[in-house]
Amino acid sequence: MTDTTPDQIGGAPAAATDETKPFADFADKSGGYFAQTFLSIQKAKLPSTHINWLAAIAGFPWAAIRANKMLFWIGFLIDLVAAVYLMQVWKFSRAAEQAVIDGKDFLVVRYEDWTMSSLWAAVIIFVLGRVLFGWLADRIYFRQYNVWRVDHSKPSGWDMKRLIWAAVIVAMIAPLMLYRASQFPPEERTCIKQARSIAAGEEVAFKDQFDCMIIGEFPTIVWLERRDTVTYPRDDDGNRFVRREAPRDGLPPVNLNSYTAQLIDDGIGYLTAFYGFFFDGITTFLRSMLSAITAVFVGTPWIIAMGAIMAISYTMAGARITIFVAASLVYLALFGFWQTAMDTMSLVVAASIICVVFGLPLGIWVGKSTRGQAIITPILDIMQTIPSFVYLLPAVAFFSIGKPPGILATVIFAMPPMVRLTALGIKHVPENTKEAALAFGANPRQLLTKVELPQALPSIMAGVNQVVMMALSMVVVAALIGAGGMGFIVTEALANTRTGAGILAGIGIALLAMMIDRVVQKANTVKH
Amino acid sequence: MTENTEEGVVVTRNVWKIFGNRADEAMEAVRRDNLSKADVLEEFGAVVGVKDVSISVGEGEIFCIMGLSGSGKSTLVRHINRLIEPTGGEILINGANVGQLNAEELRAMRADKIGMVFQNMALLPHRTVRDNVALSLELRNVDAYTRAQVADRVIELVSLQGYGDRLPSELSGGMQQRVGLARAMAADPDILLMDEPFSALDPLIRRVLQDEFLELSKSMNKTTLFITHDLDEAIRMGSRIAIMKDGEIVQVGTPEDIVTNPADAYVADFVAGISKLKLLYAHTVMEPLAAYEARKGPVAQAEAPVAEPDDDLDKLIALSVNQDHPVLIKDDGNVVGVVSKDAILHGVQGEA
Repeated sequence: MTDTTPDQIGGAPAAATDETKPFADFADKSGGYFAQTFLSIQKAKLPSTHINWLAAIAGFPWAAIRANKMLFWIGFLIDLVAAVYLMQVWKFSRAAEQAVIDGKDFLVVRYEDWTMSSLWAAVIIFVLGRVLFGWLADRIYFRQYNVWRVDHSKPSGWDMKRLIWAAVIVAMIAPLMLYRASQFPPEERTCIKQARSIAAGEEVAFKDQFDCMIIGEFPTIVWLERRDTVTYPRDDDGNRFVRREAPRDGLPPVNLNSYTAQLIDDGIGYLTAFYGFFFDGITTFLRSMLSAITAVFVGTPWIIAMGAIMAISYTMAGARITIFVAASLVYLALFGFWQTAMDTMSLVVAASIICVVFGLPLGIWVGKSTRGQAIITPILDIMQTIPSFVYLLPAVAFFSIGKPPGILATVIFAMPPMVRLTALGIKHVPENTKEAALAFGANPRQLLTKVELPQALPSIMAGVNQVVMMALSMVVVAALIGAGGMGFIVTEALANTRTGAGILAGIGIALLAMMIDRVVQKANTVKH
Repeated sequence: MTENTEEGVVVTRNVWKIFGNRADEAMEAVRRDNLSKADVLEEFGAVVGVKDVSISVGEGEIFCIMGLSGSGKSTLVRHINRLIEPTGGEILINGANVGQLNAEELRAMRADKIGMVFQNMALLPHRTVRDNVALSLELRNVDAYTRAQVADRVIELVSLQGYGDRLPSELSGGMQQRVGLARAMAADPDILLMDEPFSALDPLIRRVLQDEFLELSKSMNKTTLFITHDLDEAIRMGSRIAIMKDGEIVQVGTPEDIVTNPADAYVADFVAGISKLKLLYAHTVMEPLAAYEARKGPVAQAEAPVAEPDDDLDKLIALSVNQDHPVLIKDDGNVVGVVSKDAILHGVQGEA
């Protein structure tokens, strides 16, 4: 396969048999070679070591001439990465020379190391990459043949004019990439200073300006005047009012990020100052709900609580699961987690109740109305993709720290599966049963309660299970804003690197989760 | 509202259904310019499901609507209880215009007057057979005791005694469809809509259920619209048959009409494969005695077998095998005609 350089055989399509003629027509130049290669690919007889050496040596220009975009980008990428490493060799060796002049020995050693490793990397990537390219060449080119066979207007054959396009693409990408690799990026501070001196009308060297624009961080384009500092003090009657203070003269402008962050802070401040009663109301409601639930979980003596939990698990899920539940309870009790675990359970239950109460109707709406789906789905997406730590902050801003904001953060985190799975269940109710109920005179309420909800129930219960699981995991994170419970032990252990204590509490949380999950799931499967 | 009470229990007048976002525009255009189905699809992107259908079903009649899939028969029948709103035309039930009922009246009508059986049974999987059967009563807030009483009685009617507490998934297809039938009859409606009720069942069970339904229907005197894609079934069940094609009714008539006088090539094609043994009667295939004797000479009236004008081909064949005489047809003792073996053979081929 490799003893002749294939593309140099040159135009042998005349020799092609009928069987291989389309291959030769497609390949144009070196038709005979490609006819043989493609035939053996079709017969699955191409040796696994087959390499197109001409392609390997010529690299991406070969792919350009053959009009194979995929091979072009693979080949170009290989060469580009190798070249970038070569530029780094240059960069580091120059830096090493500079360090010798500065007399910094440790820097000399470091830069010489980096020079050598970059050099090796460049050589290895180039050689292996080209071999890989040659190996891929005919195999990927064969796919292009398959596309061309279906549609003869797709590119085929051998055309030097395509090199012009390749050259344009290379000229657009390669110089900047290589320049970037040959330079140390300027520090952000240097660039900020530079921006100020330009604003002040000073001369700055073009190279420095160029480096700040192109290399390193995206340049700061938007500069904004600082906002007034806003505070909400009380007047003599105890009523809040807005006080604005202009920023001190001479302070430099701020970038878009700082400006907007300040804006958000002001907004939150305004809401808490003038609509505090609203947030206080929610806090009070959550606190009283939680205290009622806590009274049950924590207020019950451990011996009765344990008995009750085991009895519930036995009636819902049977003996085997109850043995597991008993073992988990014993673990929690023996390691002194009983009260904390019950504390956590109260939080989970409170959050789950809220999730179900709001999530179920929302889910029904999403399941039945396309508009509901259009409105709610993006909100759910946001709720699920925002990292949970991020909404701990606004929770604290509006509701201060403690258990109520912890519950709210948990609700935001745990509600989406309830809505989604309810909607899914409602949507999957077979059309024909709904039609039958309508044909027998069902009104919308009867349709929902007698046909849709019962058939969606397995999905809804899966949603409840998900809610409880996610609430448990979030309650641990919510310990960061003072929600307490098992999470508090974990976060404290994390802060003080007390690994052992953290692991023990972590196992406790896992057992708690598994307990709930097993019981709820088993109860579901028993029912259905 | 009392205008057409004699005309039929279920009457549709020029019912049109056009599916698509621009259905109303399309409807107007069709009325104005008499567009074809293809024109409507091209101009409005709308599909004509039911095209200008007018039928009238009398009390106690089993009216079969026969057509291939996509012919609009299921769409048509869903107009009758307004599961689908017509684009044009009106539907009358006992003279009352269904289109003018408000939501509450419509629900009452669906629950009290119309029972429906579906091809795929459409039973509620989470309810027992009894609760499924009692669905229409439950939707009308009938108390649980009465529901159970009625349900058990209807379950017995369809021979499912003892299955009341099972779930539908525990029953075979045939039994499930009996539940469907029981559910449709539980509220004792005047009208039954049967949407290919037996199509999903195997041939033996189908035959059994057809017979049972005919029995029940005879004793209960319900007006039935029976949808099927099977001409054999339509002929077995129907007192009249409407043949639908592309949303239009091609022909309406008794099974014998359809078989002997197909309205067009399409119907003729259908009918070609149908056994005429039970569909053709002596009065259709017989010729006058004089005409026969003029051709073949006198008939030995004493030895010839005798049949009545209402006897079918099957009977005539049984009478005329193993002997040379033609069959004499007598009505009240008088000879009204004669059927030769040739006439029987032509009849079997459908050339009466």
